Amino acid sequence: MRQSFKTRWLAPLAVIATLSGSIQSVQAQAVTYRVDPVHTFVIFRVKHLNTGFAYGRFNTISGTIVVDEKNPANSSVEIEIDANSVDTGNSQRDDHLRSPDFFNARQFPKITFKSKRVRKINATTVEVQGDLTIRGVTRPLTARVTFTGKGRNQRGQEIIGFETTFTIRRSEFNINYGIDRGLADEVRVTFSVEGIRQ
Amino acid sequence: MSVVIDSAITAGLAALVAGVVWLLGWRLRRAHLWLSALGVAAGFVMAYWRVLGRPDFPPSDATQWVFWFALLGLPLGWLASVPVAYRWVWAWGALLGVLWLFVLPFYPLLGGFWDYRVGVAYIVGFALATWLLMLLTASAGEERGVVVPLALSLLGGISAGVLFYGAKSASLAQLAGTLGAAVGVGVPLALLLRGFTLGRSALALAMLLYATLWTLALGFAYLTMGQLILLYLLGFTLALPRLPALQRLSPVWQVALPIGALVAVGGAAVWLSYAAYMAQGASYYGY
Repeated sequence: MRQSFKTRWLAPLAVIATLSGSIQSVQAQAVTYRVDPVHTFVIFRVKHLNTGFAYGRFNTISGTIVVDEKNPANSSVEIEIDANSVDTGNSQRDDHLRSPDFFNARQFPKITFKSKRVRKINATTVEVQGDLTIRGVTRPLTARVTFTGKGRNQRGQEIIGFETTFTIRRSEFNINYGIDRGLADEVRVTFSVEGIRQ
Repeated sequence: MSVVIDSAITAGLAALVAGVVWLLGWRLRRAHLWLSALGVAAGFVMAYWRVLGRPDFPPSDATQWVFWFALLGLPLGWLASVPVAYRWVWAWGALLGVLWLFVLPFYPLLGGFWDYRVGVAYIVGFALATWLLMLLTASAGEERGVVVPLALSLLGGISAGVLFYGAKSASLAQLAGTLGAAVGVGVPLALLLRGFTLGRSALALAMLLYATLWTLALGFAYLTMGQLILLYLLGFTLALPRLPALQRLSPVWQVALPIGALVAVGGAAVWLSYAAYMAQGASYYGY
């Protein structure tokens, strides 16, 4: 049977148009955000002499967050923290933290996290599994991340916010100094990030 | 357990281990050559284990190399004891060995914290200074009496003070202090045993370990170049007891002069490091 012009030439074009539309819509669902270093915070606390908590933060953070709201499994996150930017409000303690006793920041200047899997828990929470690297040692980390909001900044750019809190054992990253002298092994980390849409 | 008690136990254990090996070396005269360096290595390995635990091999963390240097440096120490006719083998062997050793911990800083050209200059400079230190002070190991073990031990205490306040690394400081304690066991041994000497190989290895701790503190912590040079100069004072001019002096002056110089200059170095540290504000170590 002889196909009409319309069937022979226009049908494949329609298929291509439909497919490209689908791809575009999938791409549109995964949105990339750049970490806004000014509005992103990494705060940690560690117990001192089994008494009070010492708090600190890192001041230089960068990275990207890919968010797929329809299919969270397509989401991902990559974070890089400058170990030299550690700040506890005491320059002597900060120098000590940068020294080989703790971060050995000259040899290992970066602390990184790369996600491997993102799983939706509920409307505002996802579970992120990935690899955390501190002092050259990589260990798996699973954290529950909460969506904290979405909006626009003063420049009109779309922004998104997340927050998570998790606990690590610093000894797993070869940071053993002072553990047997009352400086706790467990370190609680709070990571609050704001991303700017790219 | 308090830091002081813990450090004292570590220092005591390091001294005990070194002392037992040296005592064995003194009893078995033929093995003295081998056991004098082994005493330093065993004492330091024990101290490291207590302070920082078991290191990886190859080390993931460059500062762990100092543990392995206690073992890798043993052949260099033994080489220091070759007969006089073959001292050129020791000189060249030590140069090549130290150059090779110093690449290992500092390689990770090349192209990162250090520019390649600067980094290579640092590594070669560290190696040459350490080689000279080992070469010039090894003969002090043949010296009888307390002056050499006492000076070697004081060097550990001074290094600990400068590394603690200058480099701001408590673990490097503790390692230097416990090395000082380990070799310090030579003082009672020299007092109790007639004719006791540390041996050339012990001096060579101890100097290699001190220099490694100092240079690691410059590369990875906050020791300044001025403080590093001062520590090397203090190390060279170990060569003083062998100076012919000093040997012509009375026995009292033979002890007082090198020890006095070490205490005065070393004390000043520790004080300056402490003052610079305190200028940053109230010590957080104190809390």
